Amino acid sequence: MLLKLLKAERMKLKRSPVWLAFLIMPVIPALLGTLNYLNNLDLLKSEWYSMWTQHTLFTCYFFLPVMIGVYCAYIMRLEHSNHNWNKTLTMPVSRAEVFISKMLTVSFMVFVSEIWIGVLFVVSGKIVGIASAPPYTDIAVWCIFGTLGGIVIAAVQLFLSIYVKSFALPVGIAFAGGLSGLLFLAKNLGHIWPYSLMAYGMNSNAPQELMESGYGTFVAVCVVYIAAVTVMGSMVMNKKDM
Amino acid sequence: MIRLLKCEYKKTRGRWIFVMALVITAAQIAWGLYGDYDSEFIIKNGWMSFLYQLPLVNAIFLPLLSIIVSSRLCDIEHKGAMMKQLAVVADRWRIYDAKLIYGLAIVLFCNILSWSASVICGYAVGFEGDVPIRLYLIYLLFTAVPTIAVYIFQHTLSLLFKNQAVTFFTGIIGAFCGLFSMFLPQLPFLRRMFIWGYYGVLQFVGMFGWTKETRYASAYFDVMDFNWIFFGVLILICIMTYIIGKLLFCRKEV
Repeated sequence: MLLKLLKAERMKLKRSPVWLAFLIMPVIPALLGTLNYLNNLDLLKSEWYSMWTQHTLFTCYFFLPVMIGVYCAYIMRLEHSNHNWNKTLTMPVSRAEVFISKMLTVSFMVFVSEIWIGVLFVVSGKIVGIASAPPYTDIAVWCIFGTLGGIVIAAVQLFLSIYVKSFALPVGIAFAGGLSGLLFLAKNLGHIWPYSLMAYGMNSNAPQELMESGYGTFVAVCVVYIAAVTVMGSMVMNKKDM
Repeated sequence: MIRLLKCEYKKTRGRWIFVMALVITAAQIAWGLYGDYDSEFIIKNGWMSFLYQLPLVNAIFLPLLSIIVSSRLCDIEHKGAMMKQLAVVADRWRIYDAKLIYGLAIVLFCNILSWSASVICGYAVGFEGDVPIRLYLIYLLFTAVPTIAVYIFQHTLSLLFKNQAVTFFTGIIGAFCGLFSMFLPQLPFLRRMFIWGYYGVLQFVGMFGWTKETRYASAYFDVMDFNWIFFGVLILICIMTYIIGKLLFCRKEV
């Protein structure tokens, strides 16, 4: 049934160009981050690792959380408008599955963005002629854990969008969340705050440092957040008059 | 026009638009003014350091404020096909103007609020000397005009597209370009290409003498040239965006 719901979500988003934004947005830091890297070669000496910070710093804190917020608000808004909740909820599916299908749809888009960020990163590095081989394993790890952190943000944003029908408030919260994520990371609490998990997973701040700290706690925190928000979202959808 | 403005006020009552704008401004003030003010360098150069730092903060927050306010104001009409009804009782160009004036008033009020907060913060911290009022007034002007340009653009998009995700994504990507271009001063054409980059184009205070070795020991702030040519270009962009946006909206099937 979940597969059918996913198919339905895909159909609802067909001909909607919002996915384009997730492809366009990473191109900007790839271009400008690479230029910034080239202009500061005397300060940025760790080659691929230095360039990774230039590619991902603002993306993780400000822009990707906001993009996820907009996408979640859009997906929920499809149901909020024209009383579509009535139709969706009369289908023979549990409300938890409806919530999960929406979360998986957003997660897929986050995953695609992360892969795209990784591809652009490698291509940029090759173009500017970084001598050493790209750290493919590290890049894969950053993208996978970045996706996991992004799914946490998606879950929280979807939950908010159950209550708020407009775009503005969830997007404002996503933006504030991104900013707060920066603060939590600065206080070494990046691994427990939902909005800093993506930046933490992507190691956008100091790639070598964070990698050594291990990912066990990070994965556990992400899984707990995703599970908790999914349960809460399902409960709210069960009780609330949608 | 006054009637339409009153109408806008009544439609937005209870929708928390102004409150939301104030919350974003509060975050902007907190983000921009939070810092360590203990060092002698900051106390001595505080007024100029604000003029150097704040355009970057503006480039992050003000486009977002513009997106949210314009989207909220225009989305009211998209819901329930209200635009159709409104277009029957009022000229479309008046609707465009009324919504633009109402939204701009909110955004510019927030602009003045954050500007005032920086001045008050400077006195509260005890920066050396009086506020260089001429420079601060030019800074206010150089912040307000890019904000107006961004707002007119967002306002037009919000009216043209029922799907507000389009306006949000366009605005966010634009803000991202503007912010990133500010980190590449050696490529000035980049920031001039995007209206969101004009917070950087019109920045007129620079920091000089900072090196990795000496750090702030030999650093100082100085006023660079005021970029009146690109200020004029931006005014032209505002006018062009306004005219084109209005024409597109007036011809659009609602």
